[in-house]
Amino acid sequence: MTGDPSTAPAPLPAEAPPARSRFAHDAGVAAAVTVAAFGALFALYLAFAVPGAWIASAPDRSWKASELALVGGAGSVVDGALVITAMGANDTALVTLNTEISSADYPGIEWVVSGLPDTADVRLLWRSDVARGHTNLATGTVEAGTLRTFVLARDPAWIGHITGLALAIRAPLTSPLRIERVVARPLGVMDIARDRLREWTTFEAFNGASINTITGGANTQDLPLPAFAAAGAALAMLLLLALGRFAPTLYAMRAACTIAGIFVATWFVVDARWALNLARQTRATVARYAGKSLEQKHLASEDSELYAFVEKSLALMPKTPVRVFVAAGEHYFRGRAAYHLYPHNVQFEAFRDTIAPASWMKPGDWMLVYHRRGVQYDAERKLLRWDDGPPVSAELKLLEAHGAALFLIQ
Amino acid sequence: MDIVLVVIAWCVVWWMGASLLLAVSAASAWASPGGAAWIKGAGFLTGAFVLTLWMRALSALHVPFGLLSIALPLVLLGVAATAVARRRGLLHWTAMRIALVESVRARDLAGWRRGVWFAIIAWLVVRYLLLFIDVTLQPLYPWDAWIQWATKAHVWYSLKHMVPFVGVNQWVAAGGAFYTDASPGYPATVALWQVFSCFVLGEWNDVLMNIPWWMLGLAFPIALYGALRRMQFDALSALVGAALIATLPLIDVHIALAGYADLPMAAYFTVAALAMLRAFDTGQRGDALAAIVFAAALPTIKTPGIVWLLTLAAPIVVIVAPQRGPRVVVAGFAIALVALLVLAQTSAMVLGYRLHLDFAPPWSALYDSLFMLGTWNILWYGVVAAAIIGARQWLSTGVAPMTMLVGAGALFLFFVFAFTNARAWVESQTTVNRAVLHLAPLLLVWAMLVFRAWSRRLESVSPPSAVRPASAAAAS
Repeated sequence: MTGDPSTAPAPLPAEAPPARSRFAHDAGVAAAVTVAAFGALFALYLAFAVPGAWIASAPDRSWKASELALVGGAGSVVDGALVITAMGANDTALVTLNTEISSADYPGIEWVVSGLPDTADVRLLWRSDVARGHTNLATGTVEAGTLRTFVLARDPAWIGHITGLALAIRAPLTSPLRIERVVARPLGVMDIARDRLREWTTFEAFNGASINTITGGANTQDLPLPAFAAAGAALAMLLLLALGRFAPTLYAMRAACTIAGIFVATWFVVDARWALNLARQTRATVARYAGKSLEQKHLASEDSELYAFVEKSLALMPKTPVRVFVAAGEHYFRGRAAYHLYPHNVQFEAFRDTIAPASWMKPGDWMLVYHRRGVQYDAERKLLRWDDGPPVSAELKLLEAHGAALFLIQ
Repeated sequence: MDIVLVVIAWCVVWWMGASLLLAVSAASAWASPGGAAWIKGAGFLTGAFVLTLWMRALSALHVPFGLLSIALPLVLLGVAATAVARRRGLLHWTAMRIALVESVRARDLAGWRRGVWFAIIAWLVVRYLLLFIDVTLQPLYPWDAWIQWATKAHVWYSLKHMVPFVGVNQWVAAGGAFYTDASPGYPATVALWQVFSCFVLGEWNDVLMNIPWWMLGLAFPIALYGALRRMQFDALSALVGAALIATLPLIDVHIALAGYADLPMAAYFTVAALAMLRAFDTGQRGDALAAIVFAAALPTIKTPGIVWLLTLAAPIVVIVAPQRGPRVVVAGFAIALVALLVLAQTSAMVLGYRLHLDFAPPWSALYDSLFMLGTWNILWYGVVAAAIIGARQWLSTGVAPMTMLVGAGALFLFFVFAFTNARAWVESQTTVNRAVLHLAPLLLVWAMLVFRAWSRRLESVSPPSAVRPASAAAAS
C-alpha cells in the first residue's frame, strides 16, 4: 500500500533462497494462512449458528402453496403462491398445514412469505404427537417484508413428531401477502453455510434506495459480508504478524506489506461480489432498455402508465410553457408527473399531499390530477373543486379510467 | 451515434480543461511522476466547471444557449491554452506519449507487481464498461435527480437560458415568470452539464445527458492516482488507492444511476484539497490556481459545498503556522462547536438543516451504514485500523495538514448527524452515506498517508536486522 521500501519482503541471509523465490514462498504462506483464517472464522461462526446437529440426517422438506389452507382471511393460490388479499377478524389471517415430520430432524421452519408489513405480529403454531390437543407457538421476526426462519431447536415444546403447522399473521393489510411455500429445514452446517452464501450472492437490483445504500446481497443477512471479511482479514493479519515474529524462517514479509496486502486482497474479494451484482444489474438494464427509443424506454420504466398519460396531456397543452398544478396522492407520482411536464411551469408539493389553493389559479392555468382522492368535477357546470375548498371554473380536457384527468382552468 | 456525439463533446470539454491545467502548470508537470495522470484526471473536472461558468456567463449576458454559443468559445479557449502550453515548452510529444502509453504499460514495475498492475487495470476496464452500459441505457432514475436537479436542466435547455427557480410563494407572486421545484435554491452546476449534453444531442434526452457522470467517474480516479503519485506513493500503491475509490459500490451506483450531485461534490472537494496541499508543498502557481478553481466549484455543486470550502482553511492554518497551527485549529473547532450549540438553542435553519440541541447521535444506524452494509466494501474498517495503528503519526510532517482537513470534515458530518434534523435521515439510511461520500476519498488518502508514516516509523525503529544485506546496512 505504501511506496517506501519497507513494504518489500525482507531479504534473507546469504544462504537463503533468492528474493524472488523468498517472496513467492512468503506470498504462498500468506495466502494459505489467510484462507485458513477465514475458514476458522467461519467454522467459529457455524459453531454458534448451527442450532442442532452439524451433519443433517434428513434433507429439506418442502410444502407447496397448494397444500396450505387459509382459515382466517381471504385469498387464493395464484402462480404457485397463496395470495392473501384480505385479513379475517381482528386483522388476522391463519394459514394451516398438515405435516408429519420429526422435530429432532427439523429444528428450522421457514415460511417463504413476502409483503409482510414491518408491524405485523406473526406467530408460528404447531401440534405434536407428544402433547396432543395442545397448540404451541413461537413469535416470528419480520425483516424487509419477509419472515426469518423459525429456529426451534431450543424450544422445549418442539418435541416428538410435528403433526400440524400454522402461521398466524395479524396486521392491517395494505397490499396482498404472498406465501410461496413452507420448508422444514435440518439447519445443519451445510444448510447454514448455504444460507449465508445465498444471502451474500442474492441479486440486489437497483431500486429507489440504491442511491443511498447498498445492502450487499439479501435484504437481511445473519452474517454481513463486510464484517465477516474484515474480521477474517484482521485474524489473518494477526496470525501472519505472529508468524513473522516467532518463526521468521517460515514467514518474513514486512508488517506493512502483510497488512496492506491482505487488506487489498480482501477488498477485491468483497468487490467481486459487487462486480457480479453489477454485471447482473447491467444484464437486467440491457434486457429492459436496449434497442429502445427514448419514449419506449420511458414506457418500459416503472411509471410507464403515468408517462403515457402525461404524454397525452402534453399533446393537448400549448407548446409554449404554461402554469400547471399537479395533484397526486403519492409523492412519487407528484414528482414524476411534474418531471415529465417540464418545461411547462409546474407547481407540485414534493413532500405533502396537498393541492395549491384555488386562489392561486387563474384562467389559462392547467391542473393534472393523478390517483388523487378528494377531487370533484361537475361536468355540467364545469366546476372543479378539491379537499372541500371553493370551486374553480375548469374544462375537462382528458379523463382516463384509472383516475387520471387533465383540466384547463377558465 | 448519439452516444458517440456526447462522448466526443465531453472529450472536448476534457481536453479543454486539461489544456488549461497544463498551461498553468510547472514546466516539469507533465513528466514528473503522477503529473500526467493528474493533468488528465483533474483536467476533466477543470473543463466541466469552466463549461458551467461559461454557460452562467452566457445566461447573465442574455445570450441564448446553443451548441455554437457554448462550445465554440470553449474550443477556442482550449486551443489558446494548448498554444500557451506549447509556447511554454510543455507540449513534448515524446513525453506525452510516454506519459499516456508507457505509464499504462508500467515498464518500471517488475514481476508480481506488474501482474497485479495489469490485473487491476483489467478489473477496472470491465467495471467501467458495465457502468457505461447502465448509464447509457437507463432513463434518469434516482429520486432527487428528477425532483430537484434535472427539473432545472429541462427548463434551461428548453428556454435556452437560466430562468430562476424560486420558492413556491415567490413563484405564485411572479405569476409564471419564475419556475419552482422541490429544491429551488440548489446550485446549477450538474444541471448545466445535462443542458450541455442535450444541446449536443439537439433534443431533451434524459438518458444520454448523464454521460458526464460516467466520465467524471473515470476522470476522478485518474486524478487521484496522479495525486497519490505526486505524494511519492509508488505506481502500484497509487493505482490501488485509485482502484479502491473506483470500485466503491456507492460511487459505482452514483455513476450508473447518474443525476445526483454527491459524486461531483466528492470529486471536486478531493481534488481541491489535494491541489491545495500540493500548492503549499511546491509553491507552484499552477497548483494554487487549480486549487482555487476547484475550491470555487464547491458551493456551485451543492449547498454543503460552502462548509466543505470552509474546512479547507483548517490545513492552511497548520501549514502557515506549523507550531501553533494545530492548537489554533483545535480552538477553531471548539469555537465553531460552541457557536453552533448556541445557534441550536434557537432551532435556526443553516444551509437547509434545522439545528436543534438534542444530542442523540444515531450510532446504531451509522454503524450499520458504515460497517455492516455493502455500501462501502471494507473501507471504514481500513480507515479506522489505519487511524488506530498510526495514531502517533496524525500530526507528523506531511500528515498533519490532511489530519486537520479530515478532522474538520468529520466534525462537520458529526454535527450534522448528531444535532440537526439530518439525524432522521441517518436512521432511515437515506442521506448518511451520500453525505459521508463527500469526505470518503480524502479519508482514504489520509489513511494511506497515516499508514505510510506508521510503516516508515516502524522501519526506522526496528533494530538492525541480522538478515539485512550488507548493502542495506551500509546505506543505513
